[in-house]
Amino acid sequence: MASAPAQIPTSFGHELRACLRCRLVKTYDQFRESGCENCSFFKMEEDHERVVDCTTPNFNGIISVMDPTRSWAARWLRIGRFVPGVYTLAVSEALPEEMQALCEDERVQYNPPKRL
Amino acid sequence: MSRRGIDDDEFDDEEEEEEEEHVADFDEEEAEEEEEVGRGGRKRRRSGFFDEDAEEVDDDEEEEDDDDDDDEDFDGGGGGRKRQRKKHSASSFFDEEAKVDSDEEEEEEEGEDDFIVDGGADLPEERDGRSVPRGRMLPHGEEDHEDLEAMARRIQQRYARRQSDYDEEATDVEQQALLPSVRDPKLWMVKCAIGRERETAVCLMQKYIDKGSELQIRSVVALDHLKNYIYVEADKEAHVREACKGLRNIFGQKITLVPIREMTDVLSVESKAIDLARDTWVRMKIGTYKGDLAKVVDVDNVRQRVTVKLIPRIDLQALASKLEGREVVKKKAYVPPPRFLNVEEARELHIRVEHRRDTYGERFDAIGGMMFKDGFLYKTVSIKSISAQNIKPTFDELEKFRKPGENGDGDVASLSTLFANRKKGHFLKGDAVIVIKGDLKNLKGWVEKVDEDNIHIRPEIKGLPKTLAVNEKELCKYFEPGNHVKVVSGGQEGATGMVVKVEQHVLILISDTTKEHVRVFADDVVESSEVTTGITSIGDYELRDLVLLDNLSFGVIICVESEAFQVLKGVPDRAEVVLVKFREVKSKLDKKISVQDRFKNTVSAKDVVRVVEGPCKGKQGPVEHIYRGILFICDRHHLEHAGFICVKAQSCVVVGGSRSNGDINGNAYSRFASLRTPSRIPQSPSRFSRGGPPIHSGGRGRGGRGHDGLTGSTVKVRQGPYKGYRGRVIDVKGTSVRVELESQMKVVTVDRNHISDNVAVTPYRESRYGMGSETPMHPSRTPLHPYMTPMRDPGATPIHDGMRTPMRDRAWNPYTPMSPPRDNWEDGNPGSWGASPQYQPGSPVSRPYEAPTPGAGWASTPGGNYNEAGTPRDSSAFANAPSPYLPSTPGGQPLTPNSVSYLPGTPGGQPMTPGTGGLDMMSPVLGGNSEGPWFMPDILVNVHKPGEESVGVIREVLTDGSCRVALGSSGNGETITALPSEMEAVVPRKSDKIKIMGGSLCGATGKLIGVDGTDGIVKVDDTLDVKILDLVILAKLAQA
Repeated sequence: MASAPAQIPTSFGHELRACLRCRLVKTYDQFRESGCENCSFFKMEEDHERVVDCTTPNFNGIISVMDPTRSWAARWLRIGRFVPGVYTLAVSEALPEEMQALCEDERVQYNPPKRL
Repeated sequence: MSRRGIDDDEFDDEEEEEEEEHVADFDEEEAEEEEEVGRGGRKRRRSGFFDEDAEEVDDDEEEEDDDDDDDEDFDGGGGGRKRQRKKHSASSFFDEEAKVDSDEEEEEEEGEDDFIVDGGADLPEERDGRSVPRGRMLPHGEEDHEDLEAMARRIQQRYARRQSDYDEEATDVEQQALLPSVRDPKLWMVKCAIGRERETAVCLMQKYIDKGSELQIRSVVALDHLKNYIYVEADKEAHVREACKGLRNIFGQKITLVPIREMTDVLSVESKAIDLARDTWVRMKIGTYKGDLAKVVDVDNVRQRVTVKLIPRIDLQALASKLEGREVVKKKAYVPPPRFLNVEEARELHIRVEHRRDTYGERFDAIGGMMFKDGFLYKTVSIKSISAQNIKPTFDELEKFRKPGENGDGDVASLSTLFANRKKGHFLKGDAVIVIKGDLKNLKGWVEKVDEDNIHIRPEIKGLPKTLAVNEKELCKYFEPGNHVKVVSGGQEGATGMVVKVEQHVLILISDTTKEHVRVFADDVVESSEVTTGITSIGDYELRDLVLLDNLSFGVIICVESEAFQVLKGVPDRAEVVLVKFREVKSKLDKKISVQDRFKNTVSAKDVVRVVEGPCKGKQGPVEHIYRGILFICDRHHLEHAGFICVKAQSCVVVGGSRSNGDINGNAYSRFASLRTPSRIPQSPSRFSRGGPPIHSGGRGRGGRGHDGLTGSTVKVRQGPYKGYRGRVIDVKGTSVRVELESQMKVVTVDRNHISDNVAVTPYRESRYGMGSETPMHPSRTPLHPYMTPMRDPGATPIHDGMRTPMRDRAWNPYTPMSPPRDNWEDGNPGSWGASPQYQPGSPVSRPYEAPTPGAGWASTPGGNYNEAGTPRDSSAFANAPSPYLPSTPGGQPLTPNSVSYLPGTPGGQPMTPGTGGLDMMSPVLGGNSEGPWFMPDILVNVHKPGEESVGVIREVLTDGSCRVALGSSGNGETITALPSEMEAVVPRKSDKIKIMGGSLCGATGKLIGVDGTDGIVKVDDTLDVKILDLVILAKLAQA
């Protein structure tokens, strides 16, 4: 049942970006090359512009989720059903509207981050 | 955990079952724990079992596997039998538990709406009181021995389904349902290398991927704001240890368990909403520029850096020395003030200024590593080091930020700030607005309707559609001069005033409170007819209070803003106003201190003093506060800083002596109280008789005297909340009085009209008060000379003080023989005469007026003086001053300025004279020029020795101040030694040869070619210059 883990960021600096939907954290290049493991429908690997649209460098804290299904933290953060990988605790932006529409089309849930 | 109650019901069945199981489980577990030693053999079997199923086994199994490994590590070996038994029962139990568990999960997934179900499972555990010992127990699915295949299938199914109907809608309540329970893995805090938190988390992830399920940790959290630590989620501390083994960034063995209650806190991070766009205002969070306003020029989201534009705080001198390799002594606390960089200035200091272009090709001046443009510093900093939320630049800051000459540009920028700070519902129907952007720019109109972003306005100009929809961002409130408005936000919040000028979106108001100009943004005000006083206090601190600030500086609050004060700092001679936050104010200073003025007179609060040197020279007013030799004077004619002037006590002279007489007897500063009180009474009738028009400026200072009439008296409050209370007036300010209530230890401010003073105040006092402000300050003013007498040295002070009192009495005394000299005096001083408003020059009335009663006449004289007191030409008063005392010198010339006989004791001296002397001490005038008249050789003096009065010529001035005087108008008589107090210089008349006794021309001789009031027009012999000098410092030169 354990799904294959997502790519692990190859660096820890400013190149990191987080997927705006699932909060998966990878480097820009990784997103560009292989997209987002949870949100493949964004097809970032095909359209590199999408990487900019669907990911953000503004996020706060990271969490490496080894075992999403049995991790309380993952459940709490509502990333318990994504593949194992490195995620962020919070992103500060919402998906652009067209991307949200895309989510709707794909019938995947999207929750914009709560504003303070 | 409110859900518990509900759970109870819902899970009754399950619980019962579970509880049973748990008991068994618990026993087992305990047994296992007890038996930890020597389980190795059994262990192998177990793992063997697991290995078999490994392919289908999910994480649970693997975990169990690992778990066993761990056990092995700890246990060492042996003891298989027990284990076997355990396995049996355990498996039977865990089957059950797994079932239950999955049921639960199913329920959870079935309906997020039925959230209560989820997590309810923790209940039984807590209820059966095992929560503590179970600390080390593994929660659900720990040892799943069920048909794994089936389970795996089921799980697969479940997750397949979930993927699609995954409902992440996270309401608060649902999130509650996810709160951690004892069954959940725990969070452990692990120390790691600083700055390597993320790296460590990622490394652990990598390790997990490499090692597979061997790593029994569930997740690793690295928080941005927590340095030096990461959190590891695992069931057992041992798992954490195992996972961290071999990681170079984790050292130290300290692993701390995060209490369940705090687990959620770990994961609650603010999603920082950074909308950093160009031109937004931000504040620096750290470093030299901490708190400074900056404007974003460029944002690099990838590198998380922003370039901001700041007003540089650069000490060019220090920079120059640094660049030259000289050692710079670092003053720690010193932060250079913000100042635009002047390239020329830098070059003058031999600082190398290079021209560089940035990536956009913009030209910059580079000094060292710093980039400047137009005087601004362009600095690239980490996004984290600036704060961009709720930045409300004050008007002043924006003003400073705008380079002189730069106009339109700056405005647009500040507009964008305005918009950023606008709240919802900013515009209301009926608001007058103006379009500030776009094609319709400058179109005025009124708000008709407000939509989300668009405002429908009714344009002013005809021929346009009835309403136009305009974006909110293109509108600005519009006011016209004359509108009365209220400030509703910003630093001046609460103030009201009238618009006197409109500069685009900036209004200039005249505040109702301070009558000062206030600049506000049009956006921050609403039209209002309300007149408020604004806020005058925050906490314990009130407007006009003296407060102690950090680093031991102090000052007077001159303006209260919404969360800060403007404080005029106690720095003499230089008005330094600082904006101080409420919390930066240490305490209020309200000690009653008295200090000495320039002439060692005691100055206490409420005394009227005059500033005699420094930039504020000439200002005068009552002392509001005294601290460390600094006086804060309130001069109502001083338009800045709420009328406050800060001066050194040393630069002031007391004008009226202690005024606080009436109020607190026995108080340090009212030592003349008892003496003075009677004196007031004779004074008043004279004032009545005169009833002259208010006398200019000086009257203000004197107003205090009038107040004194009321201060100290007992009054009754007739109206308002304190109606019926009796109290003592302790202060009178304008139309309000401060009354110390008798029944309460409390001082309240009451409107003057709301008190009835018939309790103790006599009607005449009342009227006195009315005129109080006009009352002159004579007695104190009159004479000035003592200073000219060399006699005033150390010993002088006590004498004066002593003298002052009796003389004062006399001065006011109506019986003083007056009239005859009066005439004299008038003749002698036509100028000063005319100067006093009561006496119109040439009006014949004046004389009779004066003449009738000696008292009146007496009083009037000071009136004249007083008059002049208000004018800068104070010293002129001096000339007149002696006049009242003229009777005292029978043979003397009426006008001799030096007529003072100093010692009251001198038999020959008139009672008045000493008085004069005493008063002189306070006279501001003389104080002003300490170079004032000094006796010098060759001048003609009147000598009053006991038993003889004669004219003489000073031949020599002795070191002790006394003079050798040759008697006779030409100095051919016998030579005697006279004390300064026994002499007065003969006042010259027109065309007399004179000698100048003071001022810059001291010692020069000349000819008095005219007399203008109290001024003498002198042709100086040496230079043939014509000078206008005080008669005071002129003495008739003896004919050689």
